[in-house]
Amino acid sequence: MLKKIFTNLYILVFMGVVGVFTVMIWNLTFAHILEEFHHRKEVAAIDLEKTGKQTKDEKQSFEQVILESEKRVKHYLGYRVLEEQHIEGHFHHIGFDIGPDKRSYCSTCHGDMPHDSVKDIRAFLNMHAFFVACQTCHVRLEDEEKTNAFKWYDRKSGELVGSPVRDAMPGTYQAKIIPFVREEGKLVRIDSQEKIDFAGEYRKMEKQLTEGQKSRAKKMIHKIISKKPVMCEECHQKEKPLLPLAELGYPKERIDSITGTEVVGMIKNYTKFYMPKMLHPGEGKTQPAEQ
Amino acid sequence: MSAKYPAIKMKDGERYFYRFNLDERIQHIIFAASVVLLVLTGMPLKFSSAGWAQYIYPFFGGTKGAPIVHKVCGTIMLLVLAYHVYRITVNIYKNHILPAKKAGNYSLVKILLGQKMVPNLKDAFDIRDLMKYLLFFTNERPRGDNFTWKEKFDYWAPFWGCIVIGGTGIIMWNKEIASHLIPGMVINFCLIAHSDEALLASLFLFIWHWYNVHYSASVFPMGTVFLTGYLSEELMVEEHYDYYVKVMKENGLEHEIKPPHGGGGHMETEGGLS
Amino acid sequence: MVFKSHIRPVWPAVVVSWILMCCLPYAALAADMGNCLLCHKYPGLSRIDKEGGMRLLYVNEEIFNKSVHAKVKCEGCHTDIKKIPHDPAKKVDCLTECHILEPSTEQKFSHKDVKTYLDQSVHSTIDKDGKEKKFPEDMPTCKDCHDNPLYRPLAFVKKVRAGVAEESLGRCRVCHKKEEFIFRFYNHITTRLHKSRSPLNIAQSCGRCHDDQELVARHNLSTRAMYSYGETFHGKAANLLDERVPDCLDCHVVKGKSVHQMYSNDDVRSSTHPTNRGQICNTVDCHPQASPKLGSYNVHAEFSLKQSPAEYYFTVFFIILTGGTLLPLMGIMFLDMLRRLFPNATITGRKK
Repeated sequence: MLKKIFTNLYILVFMGVVGVFTVMIWNLTFAHILEEFHHRKEVAAIDLEKTGKQTKDEKQSFEQVILESEKRVKHYLGYRVLEEQHIEGHFHHIGFDIGPDKRSYCSTCHGDMPHDSVKDIRAFLNMHAFFVACQTCHVRLEDEEKTNAFKWYDRKSGELVGSPVRDAMPGTYQAKIIPFVREEGKLVRIDSQEKIDFAGEYRKMEKQLTEGQKSRAKKMIHKIISKKPVMCEECHQKEKPLLPLAELGYPKERIDSITGTEVVGMIKNYTKFYMPKMLHPGEGKTQPAEQ
Repeated sequence: MSAKYPAIKMKDGERYFYRFNLDERIQHIIFAASVVLLVLTGMPLKFSSAGWAQYIYPFFGGTKGAPIVHKVCGTIMLLVLAYHVYRITVNIYKNHILPAKKAGNYSLVKILLGQKMVPNLKDAFDIRDLMKYLLFFTNERPRGDNFTWKEKFDYWAPFWGCIVIGGTGIIMWNKEIASHLIPGMVINFCLIAHSDEALLASLFLFIWHWYNVHYSASVFPMGTVFLTGYLSEELMVEEHYDYYVKVMKENGLEHEIKPPHGGGGHMETEGGLS
Repeated sequence: MVFKSHIRPVWPAVVVSWILMCCLPYAALAADMGNCLLCHKYPGLSRIDKEGGMRLLYVNEEIFNKSVHAKVKCEGCHTDIKKIPHDPAKKVDCLTECHILEPSTEQKFSHKDVKTYLDQSVHSTIDKDGKEKKFPEDMPTCKDCHDNPLYRPLAFVKKVRAGVAEESLGRCRVCHKKEEFIFRFYNHITTRLHKSRSPLNIAQSCGRCHDDQELVARHNLSTRAMYSYGETFHGKAANLLDERVPDCLDCHVVKGKSVHQMYSNDDVRSSTHPTNRGQICNTVDCHPQASPKLGSYNVHAEFSLKQSPAEYYFTVFFIILTGGTLLPLMGIMFLDMLRRLFPNATITGRKK
């Protein structure tokens, strides 16, 4: 009896396998004829278009613009294979991969490179955003909220991890700094699951919401954001920098250089040149990516 | 049939029927082994951009070693084919043509058509009967003869495949010499024929043939007839009933002939080979 | 890192502001006299430009040092950057004269001769009569084919293999005291003794344009070149990382000339012109025993009724043979198993 059941089970599984084989054989044979036929039709369509126009079509679909740019390339050097993202027309090699931040609920709307408005420092802000969570600078914690506790979290898993600073080249970390707040006496991450879920829910529901509901939801999500973000010199200073650099695993030389006269002087120098804009980084308004 | 290889052998109370002699079994194993290696060293080329190709090919020495393996195996395969054709020819001449000439009723066409591996009308009827069975018109499997249409298919498909693949393979192997005789264009066609026929052959062998001899529920996990030369009674009944009856009668076992495979009931006796 | 934006052919335009200088006492890089890497070593240094393209301003020091441009200062190419902080950098002109002296003439080095070659080649934007071709924007500029070329050193001591031979370096060190000099010359020379890119990388580089179906149609080209090359044994071996097989350039560039002097198939100067084709295959490196007739092998034959009807029908024959044989057999297998699940289930009733 048991044997019969197993035999029948085996037959059922194998029937599935035969189905897979059938599809495979179809794909290897007749599908090619259809493919060639459609390809010929497509080319004929391009030919028709071409006779009408002298310049190439500039219309680009979402797929072409956003997804096709995710091509990868392997350079076969013989002694090693260098695999990296292929960026069309990019001259210098990237040489390594750091996965996108899966935890951040900010970047789902604002993207990986959110800073855009202040022309002269946007690249710099993006560089910091690469290893500092948005909330670190954009949420000013006051009074009892201010815990001075910051930790690293893994970009991929979102879990807290040890300091990556010592083992990696500057700024190439697989982790980001996130502030902690005190809730009911306990230290908790500022990007609580509750907040993540709220933002996620909003993204899902967005299409069904009325304008008023949308505005309210967005207000709620952005409620914790301070009007004036943390400024450069609040960290880049010898006396009480905002981030506890030593606790975050920065070795002494790095701290000295981050808070040293070179950097601080440079920032001062810089603020002189770009003062007006520096103090109002929010101007020109950074909107969520999709708007 | 020698004493060493009786038509029916008893083992653990089960009857086994003699089907393949040692020569055939050795031919088959060498052929099968070379084909497996040929597929393993050929398919990564046909699907060179697929991920798995990058793993299989280096195993055989990459682009330096694998072509050598491929050529050696191809040569072995063709040698087996040549040997096989030679054996068949000698056999037909000795056992069919000479006696026929002596008897005075010699006709080459008749002799060739009468060979056991040549498809005949019975096969067509068997296929019809199989369809009846498969489409639930009857519960009885077709009563196959010594070699059923499936086995003839399994025989002639590689036979034709060998000639096509082997011939084109030799041309592409010796393209330098060939280029003095034929234009380069022909190599385009050789490549198409070689690789497409190879795909057909390997899918045919590894799906259809292996299903019939190994994976089918009544044989699983592995048929052993290609090693021992003997087929179990249960499978004889299922696939070669006509021949089974004939052999049983020849050996004076008329009273022990089992009923034809009726679709049902075989589950209980399944796995007779294990 | 995975950057989620579209990239147009732009330089990693350099927007540096010296806010941050967190940096270890760091190994001096010959090229980085201006200490540009202080900021440009951060991979996050990037922004989105007006057209929505991403500008990555990061330079990987380790890889840059293994590239042929390692000795060129940043300012050697990014000539518009004179002070820090600097404005958005302009596109680099590859034909600019850089500070490096070409040793045989002791003139300032420049790639400008490439342009003269390229302007006469099939990839020029102007035709023979000096008129602009159709779709000039499809024609390649430097960076469509070249990223920063990386050294591919070879060792020859006992056998030819990829990489640096310590034994050779040992000899260099007797006279040359500067490690950096030894490293660079060893790499430069051994890289130049063979292909600086693997056949697959070359094919991919050509394929970026020549596999673009629309581009192929726009320019009345007969084939998606990399695709059809990939169907030949050469292309298949290239896919499997063979270094010895011919790539696009081996057939399409006349021996002794530069890749930038490539001509159209109907130009008599072209190696692939019908009168010259026979000489491609039977060179000493490839198939020396072959007759010129081997040259009529149709490398870029596609499975296409329009392009190669004979091959098309030949393939269709095999497709029908394969599908026509196997699909019915699959059906039989499936039914056979179904029949085993329901052994006694004839439509005509349960008679035995």
